[in-house]
Amino acid sequence: MLHEFSYVIPREKKEILTLLKNLKGKARVLAGGTDLMVDIRAGKEKPEIIVDVKGIEDFQGVAFDAKGSLAIGSTTTCRQLMQNKILRQKFPIIVDAAGRIGSPQLRNRATIGGNICTASPCADLGTALLALNAEVEVASIDGVRTLPLREFYIGVKKTQLREFEIVQRIIIPNNMAGAKYGMEKLKRIKGHDLALASVVMIKTESVLRVAIGSCAPTPIALKEFPADVQLKMICEEARKMIDPIDDIRASKDFRAFMVQEFVERLFKKLQ
Amino acid sequence: MKIKVKVNGKEYFKDVSGNKTLLRFIREDIGLTGTKEGCGAGECGACTVILNGETVNSCLVLAAEADGGDIETIEGESENGKLSKLQEAFQKHHGVQCGFCTPGMIMSIKALLKKNPKPTEHEIKEAIEGNFCRCTGYKQIIEAVRAATGQLKRQEELRHV
Repeated sequence: MLHEFSYVIPREKKEILTLLKNLKGKARVLAGGTDLMVDIRAGKEKPEIIVDVKGIEDFQGVAFDAKGSLAIGSTTTCRQLMQNKILRQKFPIIVDAAGRIGSPQLRNRATIGGNICTASPCADLGTALLALNAEVEVASIDGVRTLPLREFYIGVKKTQLREFEIVQRIIIPNNMAGAKYGMEKLKRIKGHDLALASVVMIKTESVLRVAIGSCAPTPIALKEFPADVQLKMICEEARKMIDPIDDIRASKDFRAFMVQEFVERLFKKLQ
Repeated sequence: MKIKVKVNGKEYFKDVSGNKTLLRFIREDIGLTGTKEGCGAGECGACTVILNGETVNSCLVLAAEADGGDIETIEGESENGKLSKLQEAFQKHHGVQCGFCTPGMIMSIKALLKKNPKPTEHEIKEAIEGNFCRCTGYKQIIEAVRAATGQLKRQEELRHV
């Protein structure tokens, strides 16, 4: 039995922003619910009010903006990402990463905004978005601010999002369209499982970008390399930047070893 | 709040509290107890139902979120006491042992077959990756789906009996 809370489903964005401002932390935003509902059941979250934002048009859709960057509405589900034509053609890494999350049932509900707001260190989609140098567009009644995803993440399941704010879109810079990519994820079983370590590599004509999951308090991005970077440089940087934990699922050493292995594999693949 | 849903083709108007999950709504308010609660955290898939054509873990969905929706559960499978083709194949190929995972398993496969009437073994495995079965080891379940879709060779029939 879940604790008592009320459920509201606002009709427009402004109503949500006003609610969040007035409720001062008593409300939680609900999109797919695949993380929030689990936390409520476990007693980790005790909101008095749940604000369902799935129906709001401002948070939906995948489209290029005036500058040619791609804007993805925060309530777009993994299933919608996997089926989206633009993404399949220009950003297959997002389709690939979305398809690695959870199970079909979870992918039918889980959203891209929820994935980054949960800020799990092993987020598949978050790691891919970091490699793409994505930005997060955050709205509140006071206005809109945009910040890089790497700054949005601040710790294990912690983000810069304030209690009266909501993520409305995720922006992928235009130079990433059509980039070559590779993704490696280490897990215990083939199906539904969390990453023990994961690496995403993206290569355009001019730059090479790497992001690593499950090896630090948040998914991390390495500094941007030129496209002709040597493998040794990436391996060194990866070794320096990661700080994996020892736990029941994998040791620190094993995770670190697999990151090196994955970086090497992906580097060769993208040559 | 008042919600209106269709469950297995039948319309219901019900008053639900904000904190009621779709799973509890189906079991307690509609009285259909075929859908099970396993982990309650979106891991095991025992609570899988089809909501507006897509499978969901009904333990992670609020009944209020399903307002206006079309829900399919295991009770909608058989007609006038006659098992569906898929249910019959599960029975014949021993895809059911304790039976706890079966309602969710059938819902995941039903959703798969609607989009893909002749799935490969790999596609069947992918479709049920969110449904745990701790009895059968999955082999009989996959065999049942292949049989129900006319893909089982004769010598393979009843391999596990």
